[in-house]
Amino acid sequence: MTCDELRDQYELYALGVLDAAERAELDEHLHREGDPCIEGVRHARELVSSLASLAPQSPPPARLRNKVTGLVAEPKRMWSWTLVWIAATACLAVMAVWLNTSRREEQRALARALLDVQSRKVELARLDEAFALMNDPAAKQLVFGEGAPKPRGRVFVNPKQGVLLLASNLTPAPSGKIYEMWIIPKGGKPLPAGLFQSQPNGTAMYLREGAVDVATTGAIAVTLEPEAGSQAPTTTPLIVAAL
Amino acid sequence: MTLLPLLFAIYVEGDDRDLAERLKRREPAAMGELYDRYGKLAYSLIYRIVRDTGVAEDLVQETFLRVWNRAQGFDAERGALGPWLLAVARNRAIDYVRSSGGKMTRGALELEAAEHPTVFVNFEADVLSQDRARRVRGAMDRLNENQRHVIELAYFEGLSQSEMAERMGQPLGTVKTWVRTALKNLREELREKAITA
Repeated sequence: MTCDELRDQYELYALGVLDAAERAELDEHLHREGDPCIEGVRHARELVSSLASLAPQSPPPARLRNKVTGLVAEPKRMWSWTLVWIAATACLAVMAVWLNTSRREEQRALARALLDVQSRKVELARLDEAFALMNDPAAKQLVFGEGAPKPRGRVFVNPKQGVLLLASNLTPAPSGKIYEMWIIPKGGKPLPAGLFQSQPNGTAMYLREGAVDVATTGAIAVTLEPEAGSQAPTTTPLIVAAL
Repeated sequence: MTLLPLLFAIYVEGDDRDLAERLKRREPAAMGELYDRYGKLAYSLIYRIVRDTGVAEDLVQETFLRVWNRAQGFDAERGALGPWLLAVARNRAIDYVRSSGGKMTRGALELEAAEHPTVFVNFEADVLSQDRARRVRGAMDRLNENQRHVIELAYFEGLSQSEMAERMGQPLGTVKTWVRTALKNLREELREKAITA
């Protein structure tokens, strides 16, 4: 078809309502440089563009502008600032948690150290007492368990200060049980002399303070007793040191 | 009134050229200006076609985003930004109506060709001017009812002449005559007015 024959189709082409075959024919003309149809279609497109003014004016909602501009808002900057704030807040939170945790840990460590010092003080005091008792010339030293696999050690009996037991290979008393020392008078019933527990490594140091009549005491013994202790031995003695 | 096209060419088209350059540089602020300039017209056009405010809002966003994404191919010196944007808006709306009505929509290639930014070059500066809008409305008023109807069916609904004939229950030849006569009258009225203006 010639451009003259196609003239009536320019606006229909611009409107996009031509059938595929008609459109293809006009497309061919538009691809030819200098073809008169090109100018005709341009005018037709201007006319079609102007038809937009036939639409009654409808004011768009105010929010639409934000929606449209929001489509291309600078996401990187927005995100980077958001990320900065998130990171800063997270850092502060981590620091606060860390400071709080470390402060609590320091407090716990300090409490542990104080307890340790306290227990060492007690231990030192007990050792002082033990050395004083042992070094006293009046103290009598008794050996027990020699040659036996367990338990073995020494008992120091000081008439003024009391009885000191040093033992090894003495397995810690099982749950609900405890070791009890007995002072056994010659020809008399055993007298309870205090409860103690051995260390996990099997050693034990127990000091029973108070005067002891060495002349009337026949032996020092240790038995395994219920946790609350007993008034009389209920088991066979594990340690017996005769005076 | 005679100075209006000249003023439009100096101020509006000049601004469009600058705006197009900024869109090509992908300046986010340019999107706001583009909306301020053509948002109301695009929304009115889309709403007239889809008759649903929510859908119209979505399609306006789609239109502006499409223009933003294709601005690189736009000729800022010779291109007509407004007509291009309105063509994109109309195509989006007609495609929506056709697809929701179960009709065949235009293919991606056809749409791409119809909306390609290089199509909208060397347009007269006053295509979207108030004066031309008045002249278009006046010319439409002077068409008879059938002629006016077929133009509206073609522009706002994207119906082919065969579809119009089916819709109106008229022979295809009759419809083609109405369409041809209506477009000829519009073309001539606008040309005469432009010459006398």
